[in-house]
Amino acid sequence: MRDWEGGRNDREESRKRLLESLSMSIGNLGRGWKIYRRSLLAMLGLLMVLSVSMVAIFADEIAVQHPYRNLTDTEDKWTLNPDSQELPPFSEECSLRSQKISTDPRAASFSETVVAESGDKVGASIADGYYTDVLVVTEIIKIEDPKGYDQDISLITVDPNNSSIFVLSPELYGNSSHYPEVWIYYLFENSEMSHWWMPEGYDTCIFGTNKEGHDVFSKVVYGARVSLTIGITVATLTVTIGTIVGSISGYYGGRVDEVIMRICDVFFAIPGLILAMAFVAAMRSVSSLTLPVWLGVLLPVLMLAYFLNSHLSKTVLYGGGRVINQETWMQTDSTSLDNDFWSRWAFWRNFSIFKVNLNRSFMVGLLAFFFFVGWLPAVAWPDFFGISHSRGWRLTSSFVVIVLLSVIVLADRRFIQKDTLDGALGRLGSSFDWTNPWRYLNFRTVVVFLSMAILFKLSGNEGSEIILIKDFDKLWQVQFALIFTGWPGYARLIRGQVLYVKEMAFVEAAKSVGAPPSRIMFRHILPNAWAPLLVAFTLDIGGTILSASGLSFLGLGAAPYTAEWGLMISESRVAFQRAPHMMLYPGLAIAVTVLGFNLLGDGIRDVVDPKNRR
Amino acid sequence: MKLHEFVVRRLLLLIPVMIGVAVFTFAVAQIIPGDPAALQCGDKCGLIVGYDDDGNPITAHQANRERLRLDDPVSIQFERYITDLINGDWGESQKNGRPVLDIIKTSAPVTLEMAFFSLMIAYPLGIFLGIISAVRQDRMFDHVSRFFAIAFVSLPIFWFAMLLQLYFATGPEVGGICDPIFGTEGGCFPIFDRHDQSYTYPVEGYHWFYPEAGTGFHLVDSWFVTDAKLAELPSEFDTNRELFMDTLTHLVLPCSALGIASSGSLLRYMRASLLEVLHEDYVRTARAKGLSEFRVVVVHACRNAMVPIVTILGFSIGGAIGGAVLTESVFGIHGMGTVAVLGILQLEYQIVMGVTLLTSVIFLLSNLIVDIAYAIVDPRVRLE
Repeated sequence: MRDWEGGRNDREESRKRLLESLSMSIGNLGRGWKIYRRSLLAMLGLLMVLSVSMVAIFADEIAVQHPYRNLTDTEDKWTLNPDSQELPPFSEECSLRSQKISTDPRAASFSETVVAESGDKVGASIADGYYTDVLVVTEIIKIEDPKGYDQDISLITVDPNNSSIFVLSPELYGNSSHYPEVWIYYLFENSEMSHWWMPEGYDTCIFGTNKEGHDVFSKVVYGARVSLTIGITVATLTVTIGTIVGSISGYYGGRVDEVIMRICDVFFAIPGLILAMAFVAAMRSVSSLTLPVWLGVLLPVLMLAYFLNSHLSKTVLYGGGRVINQETWMQTDSTSLDNDFWSRWAFWRNFSIFKVNLNRSFMVGLLAFFFFVGWLPAVAWPDFFGISHSRGWRLTSSFVVIVLLSVIVLADRRFIQKDTLDGALGRLGSSFDWTNPWRYLNFRTVVVFLSMAILFKLSGNEGSEIILIKDFDKLWQVQFALIFTGWPGYARLIRGQVLYVKEMAFVEAAKSVGAPPSRIMFRHILPNAWAPLLVAFTLDIGGTILSASGLSFLGLGAAPYTAEWGLMISESRVAFQRAPHMMLYPGLAIAVTVLGFNLLGDGIRDVVDPKNRR
Repeated sequence: MKLHEFVVRRLLLLIPVMIGVAVFTFAVAQIIPGDPAALQCGDKCGLIVGYDDDGNPITAHQANRERLRLDDPVSIQFERYITDLINGDWGESQKNGRPVLDIIKTSAPVTLEMAFFSLMIAYPLGIFLGIISAVRQDRMFDHVSRFFAIAFVSLPIFWFAMLLQLYFATGPEVGGICDPIFGTEGGCFPIFDRHDQSYTYPVEGYHWFYPEAGTGFHLVDSWFVTDAKLAELPSEFDTNRELFMDTLTHLVLPCSALGIASSGSLLRYMRASLLEVLHEDYVRTARAKGLSEFRVVVVHACRNAMVPIVTILGFSIGGAIGGAVLTESVFGIHGMGTVAVLGILQLEYQIVMGVTLLTSVIFLLSNLIVDIAYAIVDPRVRLE
């Protein structure tokens, strides 16, 4: 009963602590905000970042022209508009549109009334894909036959009741001497294309149009989406990878550190842009990112082994880890139950449903066990990875995974050290040394790899690859290249921080009570090393946007016609003296975004700088 | 640690990194899609060029594979690659068969020249503004210059270069803001290329008319062009001085673009470093002695504040080479960056390998020299 009481107290205690830490962090935030607010530049940066993010989020509402999203493609396509090419900003010709009208009564597409509609409008949801937008016709400029000769304007009139409908006169379609189709040029208005903040009368193309007739303003607006996506995903992933690598390097030191740091040196030795270029080149023919099946099966298992290891061993083997703690278990083990083999397994004694011991961790452990060990490999994995559904596959996979996880769980030192099988397993146990990374990683990884290789052989599936990213388009390639080139910087940063924090007393304390390295790392060291990481992260978003646009500018980034700022500048190069607006606004957009992130990062640096904490 | 021990240690540390870079370039070349043998024979790959011992026909493609020994195991290819590198055989261009080392020999000095002059702009500008900014801390000038420092760091360098082209290399009637001064058409500075178009031959890629005996640095070369060669040139370039001025004016815009962009970060470093030094005791002592503020800042404080600035010189060289890729692309200069971009676009993996290797060597060596210089200036470094 004491345990129940203790549990309840623990819960209350932890709740109290959580609230405390929450209120503390809110207080910290408030203090940080006060420091942050002092700097005008930092506030400016925040404003810039916020407005660019807003533009990116509400791009569909803000832009006047919209890309056409193909459902099988992740990239936005822009339809070519031959009517308004390279128009300067605030040009009235932007509201000129041409439309092809069938004048052959026998044609399937023929109709006496034709709706004036735009060619490009994205639907409310992605599933709607592409629909046209109805325009209000203000004036018909001219009617042209396919040969380019003008026709009589009076042949087509605008419906007086509905100004977005053309009415074709019988003369036009009844007369066989006419061509079966005509082009009609008209001026239009469109409520979708005018916004309250846009100057009156210049609703369209306030930034002019480019060589393909795309509205530069709309492309700049949509470009915010592309750039922010690249910036944030790349920065997040590089931070993650760099943190993991850097903390391993800093924490373990020695040979691990040496190897990792030499690899980082290699990355630093090559200028970033050239490295990224080489990487993009190496990935040029990659159309979809795939993973070998065995690796795809191995990775989740490895992750499970890592994250659930202590949990499973605690819940399953010690029966929830609460009723019998290690000390009492050791006592029972050595005294009264010495002769009875099964009763030595505390697991069985506490696993009976009569002794209701369903505390939370036990339930979680049980659920996790059945979910990952039972259900996932047998039923869901083939669906996930698109591999064979055969009975043999399911049986072998579940069997092997169960065996595997058992091995992983059994390999836990805390279990094996307690057993008395004549020291044989004890010796084995000492090779799974938590505190020695080499031994630990070596042995366990070898076991897992071997089991997975066997699993892969046994499963006999045909497909050899799992598709991770189906459309590994050019933007993805850029992102991967930037991630690939970016992580060493973070690794070095985090390594330095870890080396610094590692020497502090609380880490020593955690070590001395036997906390495993992962716990020390994630609960003790990293929370104390996050400040420079946050600054670097913010600055890196800007840097990534710059590099990505540079790659696009060189023709190694986004696909042609994408709304990517660097690419837009690159496309404007041929005519930048004649039509500088095509390159001015995208460049300004890059500058504002990157500047915003840089100012934001500087502001955060001032906040987290210990010198400023008062 | 003695100085020579430090140097030897640093040199030894360089070896694993260089091996790593070589492994990396080799790996990239292995991964780059496209068959170099097929690239070389183009549409004539099916052509039968001979017969083997059994009488089976050998196509041009197979012969190329044989010649490049692409069918060997990767380990042997790597071994050969390393020995070739050491022997000075860096492969050849797949398209026109020109040795990579030759291509690099003509293109690297162009980039280095550009990087050098851009740093010549960046360092004085950054340091000067940084000093003023630190001395006038939290005044208007400080805020403005700090803002511009961050702004210049944030500018996409290719866009900035294009803006310079737009405003300084085109005539006022198009949008430029200055009149021709150096005999150029349009704006005050030439807009494109490394030389005047009238005596460069852009037909066969990159051509500088004085390549054989020259150093590759165009400024140096143009000064030593022989009279016989000069006689072949258009009349406005028939003296060395005019030729030199022409090559120099062509450098102004690209170097300004690169230099101003990197002066931003220098300004920030200088400001931070000087602010730290200004709080030191010896500065207070100097002030207490009654020295003028100018003397205190320039002689006493700056000398110490400059030491950390020197260390980032190595990194600025790397940054300048990286930025040179984009700047060269804008200004149509045939330096290493252009070579690398073309190599990647045309999947010429030998060129990509060569450029990557060379840039990393330059970067590592410059860092080494800077570190040694730092160790000489500041003996504490050696003790670590």
